[in-house]
Amino acid sequence: MKARPLDIAAVGTLATAFVAGLVVPPDAVQGDLQRIMYVHVPSAWLAYLSFTVTLVASVAYLRWRSLRWDRIAGAAAEVGVVFTGLALATGMIWGKPVWGVWWTWDARLVLTAVMFFVYLGYLALRRSFDDPELRAHRSAVLGVVAVLQIPIVHFSVTWWRGLHQPPTVLRPDNPQIDAPLLFALLMSVAAFTVVFAALVKRRSEITAKEDEALRFQEAGATAGSDITAPTIGGGSS
Amino acid sequence: MTSPTVSLRSVAVRKPGSLILRSVDLDLAPGSATALFGANGSGKTTLLRVVATLLRPSSGSGVVLGADLGTAAVDGVRRRIGLVGHEPALYPNLTLGENLELAASIALGRPATAEAQDALQQVGLAGAADRRASRSSNGMRRRIEFARLLILAPDLLLLDEAHVGLDPEAWLLVGHLIEEVTGRGGSALIVAHEEERIRPLVDGAVTLGDGVITGHQE
Amino acid sequence: MNLRNQIATLMRYELRDELRGGEVGFVVLPFGVVALLTIPMAIGIDTPLLQRIGPGIYWSIILLFGVLVTQRHSSLAPPATRDMLRLAGADPVARFAATTLATFLLLLAFEVGAGFATMALYDPALDSWWWLAALLPLTAAGLSMIGTIAGNIASGLEARTSLVPLIVVPIAVPLLLGAAQATEGLRVGAGILRWLLLLAIVDTVLAVAGVLTARSLEESAA
Repeated sequence: MKARPLDIAAVGTLATAFVAGLVVPPDAVQGDLQRIMYVHVPSAWLAYLSFTVTLVASVAYLRWRSLRWDRIAGAAAEVGVVFTGLALATGMIWGKPVWGVWWTWDARLVLTAVMFFVYLGYLALRRSFDDPELRAHRSAVLGVVAVLQIPIVHFSVTWWRGLHQPPTVLRPDNPQIDAPLLFALLMSVAAFTVVFAALVKRRSEITAKEDEALRFQEAGATAGSDITAPTIGGGSS
Repeated sequence: MTSPTVSLRSVAVRKPGSLILRSVDLDLAPGSATALFGANGSGKTTLLRVVATLLRPSSGSGVVLGADLGTAAVDGVRRRIGLVGHEPALYPNLTLGENLELAASIALGRPATAEAQDALQQVGLAGAADRRASRSSNGMRRRIEFARLLILAPDLLLLDEAHVGLDPEAWLLVGHLIEEVTGRGGSALIVAHEEERIRPLVDGAVTLGDGVITGHQE
Repeated sequence: MNLRNQIATLMRYELRDELRGGEVGFVVLPFGVVALLTIPMAIGIDTPLLQRIGPGIYWSIILLFGVLVTQRHSSLAPPATRDMLRLAGADPVARFAATTLATFLLLLAFEVGAGFATMALYDPALDSWWWLAALLPLTAAGLSMIGTIAGNIASGLEARTSLVPLIVVPIAVPLLLGAAQATEGLRVGAGILRWLLLLAIVDTVLAVAGVLTARSLEESAA
């Protein structure tokens, strides 16, 4: 496996963000606990970003019918589901000491959970197809329909939670964010985004190779060639 | 010279891991019936679905009843194609009569009760019209499909082993349908294994093997 | 045949096929009622609590078991039948609309049936019952459209029966929230218009999506 500029950039920014996240002073209110935000916030951002990429790539596939777009849509969803899961996990880990519970039914948390399951459904659908063209077509339709529902899910969840505010043990009421902390946060968002791009690129290349391997297999296998005359019954002609 | 009903050029169909059709050239002349032979799994059904405009070729080109395959023009000619596959195209909980009426009224664009009754009579199923499709024998289901073709009066008739397991009377029905279509100047393509039985009904035969047409017989 | 006649014809036969098969009436509805019956057994017989949570439980059941109604056998013609209808000239949009409408009517019946069971088992108290006349159809419409689209997307797949619920339920969250919150509003006497509006918006978006994707999905039939 050859390292390429994007991979190098991903590793570089990630290392920088990692160091930045560790060396900045702890948060005035939450202390070291706040450092989990350097993972949580960029993960949540990637959850949204990958949905958007899946939507755009799905529309592009339906428009141009090029499997390239389908691979990008699938790769973005695969990488997205990991980061959505990470956003959920880190959110819960952070929420336990701050709010006193793992799960608070906070609007954003619920929305992220719904997105997580929408992704899982989309990926489960993709796995079910053997035929790349069919996979591309059907999942593009789901990609568009599902992602268009996300804003509606967002509003419905926000309205729903607007009615009952969740009880909080310790509300982080701290709109002022220090410059070093802000820098570390932005750095981590940038790093995660580059990592996302690198992973999506790698993943779609792998899918392309898989599809190619399938084609290669075709060359030797025409319909009917795996079936030969029975060797019993004496029917040779 | 009139243009062929069906004309395929270098048609290939890929499925994951295999090439079902490699490069098929096929012409069906108006007024002709052609048998399509080939070993199990040689792609006969796939070829029939391509000709029926139901499956878009992976590559190559084709014209069916004047419409280019893979373009929106095929929408306009589908109504003129009659296909009987090896699975019966019936709703299991509807009666044979209802199934026929549904197909006929969609195709004709109006309620088709009278036509359905006539056709049932013609195929000898007038007495079984109220029997549910799921409780009918294979032969009855076949006859209902033939009744549908009588009403639809297609210009391109495609039979995919539709004659398997038919009694001699129903066999005559197949001959009648083919004659009717070719008499109108249409074409028929019939997938079969039993060369002896199908031979009298057709004008020529082609054989499919290794993803290409390997033999023509007059 | 114009689109409206095609829709009416296809829907009529599809409903007839379903009613004779009886999948919704004899299988899905009893299954849903059993679910309504098991919940008090699991959480304990606390009549005031059951009264309060009854409507919410009801809507969860409608969402989860309604998916089964949308995936009933009669909603998905076997491949040969689909080919036959395509060749007969049935418009993909008409087929989508017919299946959706048939599912809508069956879901509505399912909602009413499960609704009576909920009233009997949970005894919920609503301020006004009349709003349900708007709420039940709006929810049934949305669910039937999501179910039909998802069914078409997964058609021909072996994993279809387990795949479709996973696809449908997360997307249907706004329907659940809209219906449940509106019913909660009826229970406590709060305004419910915004929830009805939400349901109407979801239905509209889905109707547009269904019509726009119908042809494309049929083209990709395996």
